[in-house]
Amino acid sequence: MSTQEILARMEKAMVEGNKEEAEALAKEATKQRLDLNEVIDKVYVPGIQKVGDLWEKGEYFLPELITSAECVKGTMSVLQPEIEKSLISAKSKGKAVIRTVKGDIHDIGKNLVASMLAANGFQVVDLGADVKLEEFIEIAEAENTDFICLSALLTTTKLAQKKVIEILRKKTSEAGVKFWWEVHR
Amino acid sequence: MSGPVKKIENFKVEFDEKRILTLIGYKKRPKEIKEPIKSLIAEEKKKLDNLLHPASIYTIIDYAVTNKHPIFKDAEKVAICVCTIGPELEQEIKKLMEKNEMTRALILDALGSEAAEEVAIQSDRILAEKARKMNLWPSKRFSPGYGKWDIREQRFIFRLLPAADIGVRLTESCMMVPRKSVSFRINFYKEQRLSTRKKGT
Repeated sequence: MSTQEILARMEKAMVEGNKEEAEALAKEATKQRLDLNEVIDKVYVPGIQKVGDLWEKGEYFLPELITSAECVKGTMSVLQPEIEKSLISAKSKGKAVIRTVKGDIHDIGKNLVASMLAANGFQVVDLGADVKLEEFIEIAEAENTDFICLSALLTTTKLAQKKVIEILRKKTSEAGVKFWWEVHR
Repeated sequence: MSGPVKKIENFKVEFDEKRILTLIGYKKRPKEIKEPIKSLIAEEKKKLDNLLHPASIYTIIDYAVTNKHPIFKDAEKVAICVCTIGPELEQEIKKLMEKNEMTRALILDALGSEAAEEVAIQSDRILAEKARKMNLWPSKRFSPGYGKWDIREQRFIFRLLPAADIGVRLTESCMMVPRKSVSFRINFYKEQRLSTRKKGT
C-alpha cells in the first residue's frame, strides 16, 4: 500500500468512525516506517477538522464525534510508543488537567471532554472523579498545565468550582499570570 | 402518621427510541442513524437484560410528620419514593470507558437514564392511583434539586425511607449511589389544585 493510500484510508476511517480500520492502518504506518508526525499532521489534523465541520453543518452528532475521537485515541496508542522510541516529540497544543470535583462521581461528561481534547492534540492529565481540591491544584501546578477543567453536576458540588476559581485568581494575580475562566453547561 | 414501607420490583422497562437518541446527542432526528452507531445502539440494548435490576421503595405519610416544607403546605399526605436500576449498568459503563469505548458508554448511560426514569414513571403511577383510592388528589412528582425544592431535601427522603434495602445510598453531597436512581415525592391533597393532576395521569 502506498503512503498516500494509507493516509487517505486512515483519514476516511477516522471520519467514518471505523476504529478497527484506523488502528490497523496505524500499525501499517509504523511497519512502513512512515514519518509519524507527518501522519498526525496530514491525517489527524484535517480529519478531526472534517468531523468538526460535519458537526457544525448538523450532519454529525455527539456519537459520531466521540467515535472519531475514539479512533484518534486508539491509533495514537499505536503511534505514540513509536514516536517516543524515535525520540521525536509529538506536537502538543497544550496541557490540560481535568477532574470531577470532590463529592461528585459523575464522570461520563468529564471523560468525553478528555477524549475530545486528546483527539484534538492536547495532552490530558485525567485525575478521575471525586478529587480533593488541594490535590488537584497541587498536581495542576506540578504539571505546569496550560488550563484546567473541572466537572460538577450537583448544586452542592459545583461550589468547589467557585473555590478553585477564587484560589487560582489569587495565585495567578500574585504571579502576574493571565487567568481566564469560562463555564459550560 | 407514618405508613408502612413497601417495595416494588416487578417492573417491565420499555424504551422510547426518540428519547434515547435525544439523550445521546441527536438534538434533531437525523434521516437515519448510520453505522457504526446503529449497531452500537442495538448491541448495548442487548446487554440490558443482565444489567437492569429495577426496584423502588416507598411510603405514604401524613404531611404533619414531614419536615413541612412551605412549598408543599396544605397537603394531606405525602408519598415518598426512591427508585433505582441497580449498580450493574454503571459498572459496565466504567469498564467501557476504561477500554476507550466511549460511544458505547454514552449509549449505555442514556439507556440507563431512560430505564431509571421509566421505573420512576411506573412507581409514580402506582402512587397516584393509591391517592385516588384514598379519595385524595395526587400532585405531580417533585424531585430534590429541581425547581424550588433544594437538593439537600434528599436527606429528608432518606431519613424516612430505608433506601439501602434496594441498594441506594446518599452521599454527603446529596448524590444518590447508584447514580441511575430517582427520588421523588407526591403530595396528596383533599381538593384539586394547580399542582394536582388530571384523572388517569
